[in-house]
Amino acid sequence: MIQKKVCMVGAFATGKTSLVARFVSSIYSETYQTTVGVKIDKKLVQMGEQGLMLILWDLHGEDDFQKLRLSYLRGSSGYFLVVDGTRRATLDKAYILQSKVEAEIGVVPFVLLLNKTDLQDDWELEDSAIAEAVNKGWTVIKSSAKTGLGVEEAFLTLSRKMLEI
Amino acid sequence: MADMHHPERAKQPQDDSAPSLTESEVLAELFELFNASTPSQPNSSLDAIIQPRNSPAHTCSETSASSTADPDLAQVFQHSADSILENSDSLSPDHSFAELQKLLFNFDQAQLNQLKHRLEEPEQRAADVGQVLRQAILLQSMETEQYNLFVAAMMPTVEQAIQESVQNDEQVIADAIFPIVGPATRKAIATALESTIQRLDQLLEQSLSPSALQWKLESLRTGKSFAEVVLLRTLLFRVEQVFLIHRSTSLLLQHVVAPSVAAQDPALVSAMLQAITDFVQDSFTVQAGDRLETLRFGDLTIWIEQSPQAILAGVLRGQAPVELRVVFRQAIERIHRDLGLALVAFQGDSSPFTAARPHLEACFQTEYKASEHKKGRPYFWALAACVTLGLGIWGYQDWQARHRWTAYLKQMGAEPGIVINSAEKRWGKFFISGLRDPLAIDPATQLSINGINPNSVISQWQPYLSLHPQLMEARAKQILQPPATVSIAVNEAGVLSAIGSAPLNWIEETRTLVRAIPGITQFKNEVAIAELQALGDSRSRIEAQILLFEENTTNLLTHSQTLDALVKEIQTLTQLTALLHRQVRIQIIGRTTPRGTVAQNVLLSQERANAILEILVAKGVQPANLVAIGIGASQPLSNPQIPSDQLNRSVTFKVLFTETSIPRTGSP
Repeated sequence: MIQKKVCMVGAFATGKTSLVARFVSSIYSETYQTTVGVKIDKKLVQMGEQGLMLILWDLHGEDDFQKLRLSYLRGSSGYFLVVDGTRRATLDKAYILQSKVEAEIGVVPFVLLLNKTDLQDDWELEDSAIAEAVNKGWTVIKSSAKTGLGVEEAFLTLSRKMLEI
Repeated sequence: MADMHHPERAKQPQDDSAPSLTESEVLAELFELFNASTPSQPNSSLDAIIQPRNSPAHTCSETSASSTADPDLAQVFQHSADSILENSDSLSPDHSFAELQKLLFNFDQAQLNQLKHRLEEPEQRAADVGQVLRQAILLQSMETEQYNLFVAAMMPTVEQAIQESVQNDEQVIADAIFPIVGPATRKAIATALESTIQRLDQLLEQSLSPSALQWKLESLRTGKSFAEVVLLRTLLFRVEQVFLIHRSTSLLLQHVVAPSVAAQDPALVSAMLQAITDFVQDSFTVQAGDRLETLRFGDLTIWIEQSPQAILAGVLRGQAPVELRVVFRQAIERIHRDLGLALVAFQGDSSPFTAARPHLEACFQTEYKASEHKKGRPYFWALAACVTLGLGIWGYQDWQARHRWTAYLKQMGAEPGIVINSAEKRWGKFFISGLRDPLAIDPATQLSINGINPNSVISQWQPYLSLHPQLMEARAKQILQPPATVSIAVNEAGVLSAIGSAPLNWIEETRTLVRAIPGITQFKNEVAIAELQALGDSRSRIEAQILLFEENTTNLLTHSQTLDALVKEIQTLTQLTALLHRQVRIQIIGRTTPRGTVAQNVLLSQERANAILEILVAKGVQPANLVAIGIGASQPLSNPQIPSDQLNRSVTFKVLFTETSIPRTGSP
């Protein structure tokens, strides 16, 4: 069994916690995020013969009141960059966060999650914006914590990328 | 030198470019070279070969001097050797080759043959391997890593061998391990027993001692479970969990948890622990290099020890001594020493860190209040004493109950009219069943008399008729209802004897009833008829009566009361005679003194008798039963107390029966 530390990074209210809530096992409540700024969960991903235990650090979304605690990122083997598809600003925030993360822990695999795809009517991300991210060589996956769309795929993709290194 | 035997080289014709030396020169050079390379080797044998060729010695030495460092020396050497073999006429090729081999390699053919033999002969090889095997194993054991590999290699074979041995004949292995099985089992049992006694003693103390009551109150008051209170009050400290965490990734490497401690998912706990450490570090100003060392929450403490690559976190309850901190520090140091490289290379695979478990387990320490074990387990011994006493009392009572039961069974068995079919004790109750004559004694009443609690006995008695004489007698008495004057007995032969006196009615009824009594074969009637007796008595009383008269008259001197009594007696007599189917005649006999004439006396006596008859008739006596007779002075009475004249001026009575039908008094 291989263990990997993975962080969930993104702007405030992009659905990070919801993304993991339905798919992981946890012993901690969400109040940890507002107190110590992180909630830790775990998820077992089966990669063929290899079992991979993801220790998920669900970091408090950065907002005006609370900055991202960069120390929590240390030792991560990968991260999810979560964007709320119904709020264009969260993608810009994601670019900033990605730079911060890379500055802190160096280049590690990550997946950009365009979350809340179930809210198509409110969708604000134009294809060009998405293409921009793809053009940067990023892995972009559309997801919905509500329907479960793309979530397992996202975990599998990041796991694969982490094991390739 | 390996090229010397190259087949192509051996066949190669002499090259033009090769030095043009004569054979003897080459040979000399060759030997010179050999001598130079092996100075200690005597060269007498070389000379022997050189001699037939008579080669000039100087040429040889020159060549030697110029060719010592020649890189083609080996080629030359080979070439020369081949030439010798090809051109030698005087020596046989085999012999020459052997000689050359011997010279060149200093090999003794005999030794070679011996080696060849040792390699080719399986028996010899086995003997050789056998000689070195023990040494080889010893050598292996000195190298830990090698030895582990060796053990791993041997393991399947040994396991297989044992398995097959057991399959073939399990007795062999059983016999071999027999001497160790006994002591090992005893030790295991002793350890388990000791541990059980200790736990039991603790349990008893925790449930019976005054402090236990206090803890129960505390448990009620605080709402904590009793076990929790006991733990808190008796535990000085205990290490509950130890985490080994990879420092840079905060991933869990190893986790050990004390028995009966509920632990959350250690992977998440270790990550959160790291997060909290980071949180504290980020949130408060701390000096560079300072790390969180202790977290405390009530009586729960988390000690954190760090090495450059790892974190050791111990979760403790209670007040741990400072010395334990040293144990933690030593543990992390040893882990760093043993697994430093693995920590650096860690990529998420925690399997190499299983080796750290002994170090983590060394941190497991627990200490209870010392007083517990110094008491010498008083609660256990108190309980043991109580149990022993209880068992003793129970045993005595049980013995006593069994003893009484046995006595009861013996008594019942001997009792007439009781037949026991089965008697046993089950689940603390006595069961008895059998037959009982309704006239036999009641077994239930005998229970209490024997000191047995009737509630502890379940009895089932079926009624039957016993032919035991005692029971037959009782049955006869019950049926015949004999008067108190009759005693009845039944003998072994079933003969019923009745003795005494009884009314005629009873006797007659008995004669009929006795035939219906089961088991009675014969009725031996010795009962006198009571009425006959009374009749005799009555007659005696009447005949004893003497009624006196005045001289020469029929004037009665006796009181009228006496006459009344006489009348009553006569009436009784009359009734009895009627009952006995008889007739009675009472002679009233008148007498006189001898004075006067006989005729006068007879007349007077007749008158006196007649006078009494009249009185009696007047008083209700049937005249038919009476007859008055005057006998004068013919049969005088005499009584020393009464003067004869007075005594004979009298009337007496004589009672006579006429048996119309005489009742029988003998046996039927």
